[in-house]
Amino acid sequence: MDKRRIEENVFKGLMVFSTFIVASSLVLILITIFIKGFPALNLDMIIKTPKGGYYLGKEGGVLNAILGSLILGTAATFLALLVSLPLVFYLNLYLKKNSRLALSVRFILDVLWGIPSIVYGAFGFTLMVFFGLRASLLAGIITVALLIIPIMARSIDEVLKMIPFELKEASYALGATKLETSIKVIFRQALPGILTAILIAFGRGIGDAASVLFTASFTDSLPYSLFKPVATLPLSIFFQLGTPFPEVQQRGYASALILTVIILFISILSRILSGKFTKHTIK
Amino acid sequence: MKFKTHISVKNLSVWYGRHQALNNISIDIPDKKITAIIGPSGCGKSTLLKSFNRLVELQDGAKVAGEVLVDGEDIYNPKVEVTHLRKKMGLLSQRPQVLPASIYENVAYGLRIHGIKDKRKLDEVVRHYLKESNLWDEVKDRLHSSASKLSIGQQQRLCLARGLAVEPEVILGDEPTSALDPLSAECIEQRLLELKNQYTIVLVTHILRQARRLADHIIFLYLGNLIEHGPAEEVLKNPRYLKTKSYLEGKFIEEPKIDKELNLRGVIYPDNLIAAKLALGDLQFGQILKIIVDYEQAASELPKAIEHEGHKILEVTKLDKNDGAIIVQKHNGGYVI
Repeated sequence: MDKRRIEENVFKGLMVFSTFIVASSLVLILITIFIKGFPALNLDMIIKTPKGGYYLGKEGGVLNAILGSLILGTAATFLALLVSLPLVFYLNLYLKKNSRLALSVRFILDVLWGIPSIVYGAFGFTLMVFFGLRASLLAGIITVALLIIPIMARSIDEVLKMIPFELKEASYALGATKLETSIKVIFRQALPGILTAILIAFGRGIGDAASVLFTASFTDSLPYSLFKPVATLPLSIFFQLGTPFPEVQQRGYASALILTVIILFISILSRILSGKFTKHTIK
Repeated sequence: MKFKTHISVKNLSVWYGRHQALNNISIDIPDKKITAIIGPSGCGKSTLLKSFNRLVELQDGAKVAGEVLVDGEDIYNPKVEVTHLRKKMGLLSQRPQVLPASIYENVAYGLRIHGIKDKRKLDEVVRHYLKESNLWDEVKDRLHSSASKLSIGQQQRLCLARGLAVEPEVILGDEPTSALDPLSAECIEQRLLELKNQYTIVLVTHILRQARRLADHIIFLYLGNLIEHGPAEEVLKNPRYLKTKSYLEGKFIEEPKIDKELNLRGVIYPDNLIAAKLALGDLQFGQILKIIVDYEQAASELPKAIEHEGHKILEVTKLDKNDGAIIVQKHNGGYVI
């Protein structure tokens, strides 16, 4: 009896320890970014473009990167959604659960999920060369979209898998086609989950540096054309932290703080939004 | 036992992967009556029901062979528009499954997908069928609130209204009251009794009392085989076969122990009767003989004639498309050649 109690306590202790490590490292990251970045953060950072080059520039702000990241992230998410939604509905409503095609597509998506983003960057670069494109917003959007498609598709896929078979059956039994069932029933029921998946993918896309390194490149000017390079926050953090000047490094932390706040804001927004759309969903 | 047939099943077999869920079922479902499918769990009741609106094909690895004729038309014919077929068949499932929408939209959904857009028409139809399923008074003030907030009994009535709104000819109920409280169950049963003048109703149930209360016609399935069917009174009061009797009495259903097997394939009446009588002559009182014959023989005079000799027919089954089996227990019949 005593042995079982010790066992219980030891394992419970381990679980608490793991939870503590995860939670505290998150808090530590936030604190570090805040302490190092906050002093350098000022209004100029948010509303001005860099002065004196992004390597050495101690003046101006990172508005180019903020806007660039938002535009690139949003466009890539939208593009990824256009591909992911049909794919996932095909997997879940048109294919049988254990069909070979569905299983292999899921396997491929899982593999793609695991590929490091720098490889996507390199692949995007090859594509660019093939199509005669130069480093540009468009190339960045396409590469980031490729990067987040597996994430988005698999997340939505898991959401759709959770939907009870009886719900589809109820809709089919009324004479609905698969398309009508997908759009009018399944999509509605899955909407909160789909939103969460979209925002997870967006967060991943907006925060990735390696995939945009070769494809979107960097610039000091605001984004104004699909075919011109665009600045992004992860890359500006990368460049700023890479300088030997403490002031510029501090600006790097400030940029990181801005990026973190954007992602935090989006996470909170996603919570609120998915709460809004659960009005009619079946528990 | 003359009736107008609405759904006619011919040699229907269904497999889930390797497992055969239904074995060569042939049966007629009467028009505008309540037919109850009874039998122990896992005997293929729901499978039979769902083969009427082809929902069965959505199951993983399901394979269907045979014919189901609805209004004389084979629904498994590739030319049949499955959405039209399903529109004809309202389904009440075991647990009510409302759509993720408002009460109003749940009923209007079926109408919308079948092309009714006029708001006034929709309002009217929604009200009519909510009244028809006895839900209107409870929900008329909150038509646009969420259907999932209704109690489970109300949800089942909503599902009934939703099913009726697309104007089906048949109502299929897959144990529609099993998840409900007694009062809601009673309410659904009452509705079904009132609706049977307008619709053909097929009901899967494992509640025998419910079958007694509602059914005009009974189908008894056991392990994918059709054991017995007929007018409710006959089947429930005087079951012809042993398995039906055991099931109705709540006894364990066991396969009869066969003492002798006789193969009379290709032998016609009355030669097969004579062979059967000779074989029975060799047996002791109470021993059991299994006669394998062409199914047309099993389905016609032969069992009756054997019974007339004083023996007890325990079961008449269909083995496959052509063959049938008659299982006879020797009783006191004297035999004369």
